[in-house]
Amino acid sequence: MAIDTTIYVRPQSGISAYLDWLQMLTGAGLILFMWSHMILVASVNLGVGAMNTLAKFFEDYYMAQVGGPMIGITFLLHFALAARKVPFRTEQQSTIWKHSKMLHHKDTWLWMVQAVTAMIILIMGAIHMWTVLTDLPITAQKSAARIQGGFWLVFYLILLPMVELHVGIGFYRIAVKWGFIKRKTRHGFDGFENILTMIFIAIGLITIVRFMLIKV
Amino acid sequence: METIYTDLLSIGAGLAGERVAVEAAMAGFDTICLSIVPPRRSHSSAAQGGMQASLGNCAMGAGDNPDVHFQDTVKGSDWGCDQEVARMFAETAPIAVREMAFWGIPWNRVVPGKSTYYKGGKQFEKVEAKEKEGLITARDFGGTAKWRTCYTSDGTGHTLLYTMDNKAVETGVKVHDRVEAISLIHDGETCMGAVARCMKTGKLRVYLAKATLIATGGYGRIYRETTNAVINDGSGAIIALDTGIVPIGNPEAIQFHPTGIVPTHILVTEGCRGDGGTLLDVNEQRFMHEYEPTKAELASRDVVSRWMTHHIRQGKGVPSPYGYHLWLDIRHLGEQHIKTKLREVEEICNNFLGVDPITQLIPVRPAQHYTMAGVRTNKDGAAYGLKGLFSAGEAACWDMHGFNRLGGNSLAETIVAGRIVGIKLVEFLKGYEVKFNTEAIKDSVEKDKERIERLIGCKDGKENVYAVRNAMQDELMDKVGIFRNGKDLQSAVDNLQVIYERSKKVGLKSNGIGASPELSLAIKIQGMLRLALCVAHGACVRTESRGCHAREDFPERNDRDWLKRTLATWKEGDTLPTLNYEPVTKLMELPPGDRGYGSTKIIS
Amino acid sequence: MTRRLTFNIFRYNPQDPTSVPHTDTYALEEAERMTLYIALTKIREEQDSSLIFDFCCRAGICGACAMVINGRPGLACKTLTKDLPDEITLMPLPVFKLVGDLSVDTGTWFRAMNEKVESWVHSSKKMDPTVQEERMDNALAEEIYELERCVECGCCVAACGTANMRPDFLGATALNRIARFIMDPRDERTEKEYFEIVGTDEGIFGCMGLLACEDVCPKQLPLQDQLGILRRKMGWTAVKQLFGLAK
Ligand SMILES: Cc1cc2nc3c(=O)[nH]c(=O)nc-3n(C[C@H](O)[C@H](O)[C@H](O)COP(=O)(O)OP(=O)(O)OC[C@H]3O[C@@H](n4cnc5c(N)ncnc54)[C@H](O)[C@@H]3O)c2cc1C
Ligand code: HEM
Ligand code: HEM
Ligand code: SF4
Ligand code: F3S
Ligand code: FES
Repeated sequence: MAIDTTIYVRPQSGISAYLDWLQMLTGAGLILFMWSHMILVASVNLGVGAMNTLAKFFEDYYMAQVGGPMIGITFLLHFALAARKVPFRTEQQSTIWKHSKMLHHKDTWLWMVQAVTAMIILIMGAIHMWTVLTDLPITAQKSAARIQGGFWLVFYLILLPMVELHVGIGFYRIAVKWGFIKRKTRHGFDGFENILTMIFIAIGLITIVRFMLIKV
Repeated sequence: METIYTDLLSIGAGLAGERVAVEAAMAGFDTICLSIVPPRRSHSSAAQGGMQASLGNCAMGAGDNPDVHFQDTVKGSDWGCDQEVARMFAETAPIAVREMAFWGIPWNRVVPGKSTYYKGGKQFEKVEAKEKEGLITARDFGGTAKWRTCYTSDGTGHTLLYTMDNKAVETGVKVHDRVEAISLIHDGETCMGAVARCMKTGKLRVYLAKATLIATGGYGRIYRETTNAVINDGSGAIIALDTGIVPIGNPEAIQFHPTGIVPTHILVTEGCRGDGGTLLDVNEQRFMHEYEPTKAELASRDVVSRWMTHHIRQGKGVPSPYGYHLWLDIRHLGEQHIKTKLREVEEICNNFLGVDPITQLIPVRPAQHYTMAGVRTNKDGAAYGLKGLFSAGEAACWDMHGFNRLGGNSLAETIVAGRIVGIKLVEFLKGYEVKFNTEAIKDSVEKDKERIERLIGCKDGKENVYAVRNAMQDELMDKVGIFRNGKDLQSAVDNLQVIYERSKKVGLKSNGIGASPELSLAIKIQGMLRLALCVAHGACVRTESRGCHAREDFPERNDRDWLKRTLATWKEGDTLPTLNYEPVTKLMELPPGDRGYGSTKIIS
Repeated sequence: MTRRLTFNIFRYNPQDPTSVPHTDTYALEEAERMTLYIALTKIREEQDSSLIFDFCCRAGICGACAMVINGRPGLACKTLTKDLPDEITLMPLPVFKLVGDLSVDTGTWFRAMNEKVESWVHSSKKMDPTVQEERMDNALAEEIYELERCVECGCCVAACGTANMRPDFLGATALNRIARFIMDPRDERTEKEYFEIVGTDEGIFGCMGLLACEDVCPKQLPLQDQLGILRRKMGWTAVKQLFGLAK
């Protein structure tokens, strides 16, 4: 029996709703950040100067110094909120795993992807942020040096698709959960979202290649 | 053994059972409903077409009132009904519909302005009045003078049952689902409750109640081809019959529906024909207008069923691996209409036949559909013979349907009778005390326990319960069907008696532990045969044609000798029911006459 | 031309101490227009009379026969064998308590659900049998009916990852039910009262948008759309509450 009404106690009014708002807003905020981040990092494709100018611009106005930790906090907050939904008990994990395998259902799998990428992002994203933010200022040369070192190349090759998948699915999920995508438009949106994710991954890869080619 | 006490025990949680229960619960009585399935799965949910009440809101129902409804009902019954009950019914139906609206049914409403409708394949126009906008509307159904059938798209039974169960939840009616009553506890005078088997655990349970209600619905499953749910195998009627005291009224009054799809006999609603669907034969030609020039496809269902069978016998049926059938054509109603107004029909054809009714013909043939027969009660719903026993709904012979019930009148009966019987039952419960006779209780329980042990242990033989049931179903379908004659009926009675003997030798193949579906059936198989014998024997003795009891050898309605109701009881140890008769009605408001459809000759 | 079908059926009778969960295999000749109802009935009557499963209306109307068919929850009676491969695997619905083999106890679950969401029209008015019914726009009546079509089969619950992980999650069917009453002008419950019931993590905020409910519902209820509308509504109610504006 799933619902035992006798022990059912009215929960604190509204808490769940506010947490859900926050989860969505932090997610959306992080998406916006990742897009800006993409502009910053990919600007290297337009030339080393372009990236450096942008980076300097951010730093001159303390966006990196203040914005960085802000993003860090949002990141952690989002993690804390979203983690409420992630199965940590092994029993739940095996339930959802068996369930997903049985059901052959795309959206359920997408969620699994989101939960798994989330864990990877949590660890790798934190390391990455720490590394970059403790080594300001950001310059294209420093970035290139890091990547050409090899370790960070592999690191980013893993993190990049993880992030883009998580962002792409997260974007779709916000739209579904809050009713922006309707039954009628769902299918079309699916395709749109896939293409978007592919494009972002492609830009990221090109950027990495570009970093490899910068002389340091 | 677990024993549960309550004020009202309703055996059955369909529309009728729950409506009575709600009335009792609202009056503050402790109420329990038993049901084989969760209440919302009761067969009431399958009714698609609608229910009749003379609101007279829609243009084609203008001028309708309880008098007209009463007359339609009595004519429909072929004067076999209790007219006092029919009168009460027609007067209460509008109230019951409004009450259900109040409780939450999203009835379809009048939309003012011009619209088109189909009748007999031709298109007509009607104009709905502005001042009626938003009132409960109605559609056409067979056998009525006015459009009177209130509906919610084609899920009327579903919305009624869900709303009723909502009300039951609200008022605190307890429902014990997956519990099947297997015998009544009584001492020959008073009914004290029932012994029931839990279909989750297989355990027996005793329910003791001041009042017991049988609202177990119809029992089409004694026939091979039926539109009824698989749980409709008559256990309610059986436990009443097993008392040896309570009679089954008019057991021979069994209705067939013209449009069961072939091969599963799922019903496609009469709304199809009401909205203008037509019947075609092997040459894809209409034929109903030849037999019934005015009403054509809209004649009452027994008339349509009979002409369909006749037409097939004339060699005009469509051959198929499942035998001959006819076609139902709704293609001309158009995609828009079919996809909205007849959506369930569209689903049924696509899902169960792989046929698209927008472009293709639907294979149909008549199947058993409704049991006018049932536990005989007085007009208050109190069963004959035992104090504290009541019955309502399709399970009862209250008797507003006589020998033929009109489409839409049975859903209406459930909530109207539920309301009336509920009120009477509350009056009965007030100040009523019952002494529970421990001897009688122990007796019942012991008998049932032993019965089950014998079945599981194969003490009486190893007869396969399914084989026995199938033999019975074939016998009824082939010989006690739409067209009946003395020779076949007698042969059916003889054969059923042989099968009855076989049923006593049934033994389980499985171990019978827990939910055991095989045991469920085995427990009632003998009762099913007794019931089948009531039907066949009752039909054999009634040498006239009335309503849907159509005798080829006695084609005329014989008011001189047969204006009476059959009462069948079963004395323990007998091999045939005892048949008694009573006048159909005390009050003859509408004297016997011509129905206006069907070409019956009348002996008066 | 006729296929020989293989049925792998989950077997376990919890009432029988000697029974252990396992799979039994049955072979059956396919026939024209065969549904799983016909097939299972045939197997029980001809091969194994101990097999437990539920059918009632056998017409896709009552919701009794939901089971997991080759991995997907669905109504067995409206599943044609011709739409399935030669090998058919049948399992009982998860989440619900097992009665035996393919049969689960949906009755208790749904009764509890109905009690919890108070699935009835809350009205302070008294019914007066002598007066005409209150009027309602036909389009609105049809909209309500659209949501009322749920047959409580439990497929959406069984298919929902959230419901599988968290037994207290109400499920799409309950959320749809609330949406139905919100739409109904006869129900006098306020925003706040609805919020109390579903504005929680057991309710709409527990839903993760997995959409399996939408994709398996045999009645094609507009679950995705209703869940979206409900989340927004409840979300706004919470915001309004913050500013003391919620009714
Ligand atoms: C396919 C179909 C379509 C129909 N369409 C229409 C229509 O459009 N209009 C109309 O007016 N009528 C229609 N009818 C008829 C109408 O639906 C029924 O007559 C009516 O719903 C019966 O309601 P009820 O409450 O008497 O019984 P049911 O709804 O059948 O309920 C019977 C209850 O009894 C329980 N029960 C049975 N035996 C036992 C037992 N031994 N122990 C415990 N519980 C038991 C069952 O579980 C169930 O809860 C239709 C019938 C069918 C078959
Ligand atoms: C840059 C980093 C991240 C971005 C851009 C991001 C973005 C998003 C977005 C937009 C959503 C959808 C929100 C919703 O459905 O309400 C989401 C959901 C989720 N995020 Fe993140 N996220 C990031 C990092 C993380 C991290 C580090 C975790 C670690 C646990 C995480 C875990 C989750 C989970 C589990 C969900 C699903 C929640 C649900 O379905 O209800 N995310 N994320
Ligand atoms: C404020 C915080 C952040 C800053 C300042 C920042 C800055 C940078 C910089 C400068 C690079 C270039 C490579 C390098 O120097 O090593 C980079 C790359 C990258 N960052 Fe961040 N980052 C931040 C947060 C994040 C977060 C939260 C994520 C994801 C979880 C992330 C994911 C990545 C990835 C995947 C790359 C490689 C990108 C590509 O090739 O396009 N970053 N970041
Ligand atoms: S919403 Fe659909 S899947 Fe869920 S119980 Fe209702 S009918 Fe079944
Ligand atoms: S599958 Fe479950 S998580 Fe929500 S969208 Fe449906 S209820
Ligand atoms: S048996 Fe009723 S829905 Fe399948």
